Amino acid sequence: MRFGRNLFALATVSALLLSATAVAGTVTGTVKFEGNAPKLRPLKMDADPGCAKKHSTPQMPEVLALGDGNTMGNIFVYVKGVSGNFPAPSEAAVLDQKGCKYVPHVMGVMVGQTFKVLNSDGLLHNVHSLPKVNQSFNRAMPATVTEAEYTFDKEEFMFKIKCDVHPWMGAYVGVMTHPFFDVTGTDGKFEISGVPAGNYEIEAWHEKLGTKTSTVTVGDSDTQTVDFAMSVPKK
Amino acid sequence: MSDGHHEELGFWRKYVFSTDHKVIGIQYSVTGLAFLFFGFCLMMLMRWQLAYPNQPIPLIGGLFGDARAPGGIMLPDFYNELGAMHGTIMVFLGVVPLAVGGFGNLILPLQIGAADMAFPKLNMLSYWSLFLGGVTMFGSFFLEGGAAQSGWTSYAPLSNIAPSGQTAWLIGMIFLITSSLLGSVNFIVTTIQLRAQGLSFFRLPFFCWAQFVTAFLLLLAFPPLEAAGVLQLMDRLADTSFFMPDGLVISGEALDISGGGSPLLWQHLFWFLAHPEVYVLILPAMGIVAEVIANNTRKPLWGYRAMVYSVIFLGFMSFIVWAHHMFITGMGTAMATFFQTTTMIISIPSVIILTALLLSLWGGSIRFNTPMLFALAFLPMFGIGGLTGLPLGLAAPDIALHDTYYVIGHFHYVVAPGTIFALFAGVYYWYPKATGRKMSETLGKLHFWPSLIFMNGIFFPMLIQGLNGVSRRLADGGATYDFAGAVGPLNRMQSWSAWGLALAQIPFIINFFMSLRAGEKVGDNPWDATTLEWAAPSPPPHGNFTTEPVVYRGPYEYSVPGAENDFTPQTQEG
Amino acid sequence: MMDLFFPPGASAHAAGIDRMVDWVHVLMLILFIGWGAYFIYAVARFRQGKNPKANYKGAKGSASKYAEIGVAVAEVILLVGFSIPLWADRVDEFPAESDSVVVRVVAQQFAWNIWYPGADGVFGNADPSLVDEETNPIGLDRSDEAAKDDITTINQLHLPVDKPAIIHLTSKDVIHSFNLPNMRIKQDAVPGLSIPMWFVPTKTTAEMREELKSKPRYADTADEFVYEIACAQLCGNSHYSMRGFLTVHTPEEYQAWLDEEASYLGGGEEEDFWN
Repeated sequence: MRFGRNLFALATVSALLLSATAVAGTVTGTVKFEGNAPKLRPLKMDADPGCAKKHSTPQMPEVLALGDGNTMGNIFVYVKGVSGNFPAPSEAAVLDQKGCKYVPHVMGVMVGQTFKVLNSDGLLHNVHSLPKVNQSFNRAMPATVTEAEYTFDKEEFMFKIKCDVHPWMGAYVGVMTHPFFDVTGTDGKFEISGVPAGNYEIEAWHEKLGTKTSTVTVGDSDTQTVDFAMSVPKK
Repeated sequence: MSDGHHEELGFWRKYVFSTDHKVIGIQYSVTGLAFLFFGFCLMMLMRWQLAYPNQPIPLIGGLFGDARAPGGIMLPDFYNELGAMHGTIMVFLGVVPLAVGGFGNLILPLQIGAADMAFPKLNMLSYWSLFLGGVTMFGSFFLEGGAAQSGWTSYAPLSNIAPSGQTAWLIGMIFLITSSLLGSVNFIVTTIQLRAQGLSFFRLPFFCWAQFVTAFLLLLAFPPLEAAGVLQLMDRLADTSFFMPDGLVISGEALDISGGGSPLLWQHLFWFLAHPEVYVLILPAMGIVAEVIANNTRKPLWGYRAMVYSVIFLGFMSFIVWAHHMFITGMGTAMATFFQTTTMIISIPSVIILTALLLSLWGGSIRFNTPMLFALAFLPMFGIGGLTGLPLGLAAPDIALHDTYYVIGHFHYVVAPGTIFALFAGVYYWYPKATGRKMSETLGKLHFWPSLIFMNGIFFPMLIQGLNGVSRRLADGGATYDFAGAVGPLNRMQSWSAWGLALAQIPFIINFFMSLRAGEKVGDNPWDATTLEWAAPSPPPHGNFTTEPVVYRGPYEYSVPGAENDFTPQTQEG
Repeated sequence: MMDLFFPPGASAHAAGIDRMVDWVHVLMLILFIGWGAYFIYAVARFRQGKNPKANYKGAKGSASKYAEIGVAVAEVILLVGFSIPLWADRVDEFPAESDSVVVRVVAQQFAWNIWYPGADGVFGNADPSLVDEETNPIGLDRSDEAAKDDITTINQLHLPVDKPAIIHLTSKDVIHSFNLPNMRIKQDAVPGLSIPMWFVPTKTTAEMREELKSKPRYADTADEFVYEIACAQLCGNSHYSMRGFLTVHTPEEYQAWLDEEASYLGGGEEEDFWN
């Protein structure tokens, strides 16, 4: 019975995907950091012994997450100016509080999608969102409270979520009207698939370095590569 | 005095929008009792969180919704909401309406032999203003983000940046303050103008004196808080900065305000009311206790005149002690010296009143009925409350004790087994006057003894916790801190005492309602008392007295040598 | 007498405060026991069953007057002899900054930012507009020369033993209260004001741990003992967890700690951009 239903769901999704890919392409690429990797100062986790106990090595800020060859993580890449109606996925976007850090550090969520905040630490965290457009929330999550759910009902590009108990904890969230966004890992790679054919601007965003844009023409079922290079703005 | 034929009033005019002081007094009393019960319920929820921090509330945990208690676990915001509203409701909607609005309205005109209050319509307005304040406060629980959660003291700037419940709190306070101002004018004029023939000031029962002084406190202390409330409302709604300094950074974001205000200004304005307010809570209680003790020792109060002078002095002094609540806001020696000196001075009249009440027992023939038990218990309980005020009123020990549970223990001893016990004494004592029936003595004693034990079970451990340095207003009762660890387990005993105290109120609730129909029917003066209210029929009709009372003597002429009875009413000639 | 209840004291002035709390409680106990004994006796002796006829005149004599005068005298002694001098010592008798460790504490919802002036002994400029919660919570202006060696920590106050510590206390957002129970120190942190306070820690954390091992009440946890900083003024939802720590070192350990903190400080604009 259950198997049958899953099979049906699978078939439906495949059909949808097929119909989408028929007129859609993929944008992929790598983000690199240009410049010298700076010396970061370790996070002051000794502010809360509960946090310090969770790590055996000094923890570094996630503001600069570099991979081999200065590839750059935590970059939010998205397609600008996509029109049309895109339903929010039924699965939740999850932000975990783990080891007194937000996992992930940067993420996207769609308008109307469930935004789930987990507390895996068994410590008090105080998750405080600072949007300008959406309704903000400010919830203390004591050790035994492991979950909270929210939704955002308006598009909003990149606002901060912070922990009022552990000031170093910050996450950045983009609320999107379409699913064409990705966040790079430390390998610097992103892949946005199912993009309807057309001319677009692709924008890459970093919390401190700002944005870089590039234009791309996406055709039917092809893959376009767009690479970005981020650097410290000159004064 | 009464013209004998009043026009028949409809139901609404008679029982709802009534101008009769007795109906208004009962409206106040019932409102006050209901809010006392509600405020007590808020506290019982908090006590769960204190005893079992971050554990799901059993049975009813699911009722509070995900925003307050996901999975039944009380969030700290909810705890703070309960705390702020428990304090606000108990003080402004529980004790004050019952002690001043209720007993004041019901008893004061009768005790001075008046047909009604001086301004009956103002009186009605005063009650309905309180009613609106109560509705606003109660309704604020249903706002997004909940009711106020910045403590009953609503210190700025925390309160300025709090969710919308704080706006409702301020509006509610403005209604409540307006109610008290209207009421206090009425009490003052009534006492001065409408005393019966022969009732000179020094023949007034002590209860009247206490209400009279209380009315002055309300009249003179509340306006600053009303102004402060309006200013904070402006800060919240009109982007002014009365209480907001420059350079605030909230959650990492610089606040876009004009700045230049002072957070401490709020505290000065608040405590300028809130310290006299403490005496608003305690003076009527002392008045009730004095009446009940005189009646049940069957002898005059000892040192009546000294008590009257003390209560006047107390009232005056209560205006110049407020900043002892603010010793650790950064006070210099001169200011601290002034306020701790005035605080020590104000303790003297309190000591005199308490001593007089204690000495009044000497030589008495003491009846232990329910009102007397509550009145007697008031003495040592208020004693603990008053004494524990000493180390807090002195600036140096206050460094260790300020904002700890010692403070909570201290003022709860004053207002819970202190004032509230006195209010219970008053309910049992004057119930026959209001209804013509007596409350059950058996149920009354069943109410008294467990209440006395459980009250101490809640509040005494707080003093120990406070000496250990445990801060107040911690949503987990101090479980976060190692130094509080040793006294953490006391929280469970306190919480079980609190729930036991709730059970101990069941006999009272049953008694209160059953006695309306089933209570023993009694005459006009069931306690063989001397004061004027007992000269009126029970319950008193519109206009109160069947013949205009004339007063020939002082209020407590009990066991006069050579007299026929052991009580000589004030109206008795000769 | 009340040592049983107090958190173990560890500052030069703690004993004075404790003695004062003791004496007040002695007075309170005398009064309560005196009143209580009288009360029980009077209620028992003058109950209606035993004394059916009340005495109109009641109590005679002037014992009560003497008792009241006694209370007043005791209060004057407590006030003039103890409380006022103790208070003046706290707020008027500041040690010279040159002989002291000077620290700024900037409170915020819900953490204590501890700020040391660094090797130059001068605090750099700070500006609210420069605040970055992750890297620069006090908004230190790193372009200011004096700020370059400033050290900041979160919730971690370190002090050397037996040297006066002067703390300038302020707040970024709402009112907090800086409470060190073991040091008998409590001071509100008021936004817009910088309020100084001082004390002399007299026992290192290690010494205190040793001492507590001999006290049955603390023996079990003596090895993990830390001096705690507790927020004593309701400051928002997570107020109950606004917990800081004080470590009292020997002078050598303290210097070593400062050196270690200083080693994290970077050089150059590029590093300042990221940190």
